Amino acid sequence: MRTSPALGCTDGSVEVAVKSYGDIVGDGGSAVLEQIRAQQEYLAQNLSGVRNLLVVGSGKGGVGKSTMTMQLACALRELGNAVSILDADLNGPSQARLGALQNQILIPGENGAPVPTTRNGIGVVSMGTLFPEPHALEFESVASGSSHTWRATKEFTILNQLLACMDWGKLDYLLVDLPPGVERIVQYAELLGPAAQFVLVTIPSDMARGVVARSIDALGKTPNRILGYIENMAGYYCSDCERVRPLFPSQSEVKLDLPCLGSVPFDPELAALCDRGISISDEPALCSWQPVRRIADEICQRVSECASSTEDALTEERR
Amino acid sequence: MKFLCVSCDEAMKLMNVDPPEDGSLTIVYRCSSCAHEIAMLTNPYETQMVSSLGVKIGNEPADTEGASKCPFSSVVQDMATGGEGSGAGFPWTPDAITRLSNIPEFARPMAKIGIEKFAQDNGLAQIDAQVLERAKDFFGM
Repeated sequence: MRTSPALGCTDGSVEVAVKSYGDIVGDGGSAVLEQIRAQQEYLAQNLSGVRNLLVVGSGKGGVGKSTMTMQLACALRELGNAVSILDADLNGPSQARLGALQNQILIPGENGAPVPTTRNGIGVVSMGTLFPEPHALEFESVASGSSHTWRATKEFTILNQLLACMDWGKLDYLLVDLPPGVERIVQYAELLGPAAQFVLVTIPSDMARGVVARSIDALGKTPNRILGYIENMAGYYCSDCERVRPLFPSQSEVKLDLPCLGSVPFDPELAALCDRGISISDEPALCSWQPVRRIADEICQRVSECASSTEDALTEERR
Repeated sequence: MKFLCVSCDEAMKLMNVDPPEDGSLTIVYRCSSCAHEIAMLTNPYETQMVSSLGVKIGNEPADTEGASKCPFSSVVQDMATGGEGSGAGFPWTPDAITRLSNIPEFARPMAKIGIEKFAQDNGLAQIDAQVLERAKDFFGM
């Protein structure tokens, strides 16, 4: 309850009590807050068949998050898991190309839209499937020239719709491939809920590690668990001398207060295969395959260690 | 946002939402005690912000992005005119239209283009549930 000048009393000398925001139930007819709550509940319900939400981020761009996400998905699949990927990079999607799903279409099913699947059985939802290259996303708006004020909201609404409308089915792992941006990591954590577990990708440069350190700091303010970090491009594989040679200085001044899940060398051959949508698990002789397999093993072990607490958090999120 | 009739100290009820015009929504509220009405006129920034949340105002979508309800309609238009869609305007049976609502709203125009192209390539005359099942099988879903 607050006070307001009495009607007709312009000098404010007499005040009457009027209701405040909290005194009024509802918003008069639109129920906007209830609609948003319903969206969140529907999302949680649609993800109820997903055992583990694994978010692959970094904060830094160009460290190989998308390629690593697909490689991890392949390795987790090889270990007998049901795996899908959500490409959360709406504006620079990579997963459709990595999974050779650029010419797929979305087809409505009886329960949401079935998830397009790669040849080796990994589900992939990516804007790259919906919008063939080179089309860029143009969010149309009545507020022209002001997309900085609403675009993030729109993007998260679209991600919410993708998560809520796809028929994910029963999954052991849903991997979410994030776009760059430290501040956005926290926003994804809020969207996906406390059960989402993060894996951060870096390269052995202090520039990248410094940004990843910021992401660790940002995620430290959320209830989400960070499983560890992956050091990508840890040297490159030289096919001439059949050795991994250094790409970055071996000494780093930036310490990451997280367990390292493993290091993966850059393999030019893998890069060429990725462009053609060929999976790393189809080429097990590649030098990066075994390190990725070991990282997948490590992730499974760490996830199973906290499976009971994750289940508790999911249950809480669904309420 | 809530509206209060100060003289009655009563919450006002939403009565009507006019379709967006020049980026502005007109939302009329009435006090159920004294019948006093006010109209809230949003500026384009406010209209777009509500639209971006994917919620409805009153009984009407707060969508301001045209009849397609797709934020990417110009891209879809490019795809259709670029020969990637049939542009044939296939008839959709009611059950197929119902199923289409299972796809995120922003993705429906693209899905329609893809399905109609599939129908055209296979010499089909209309889109019904059987065609959708056939397309699912074709694409290995």
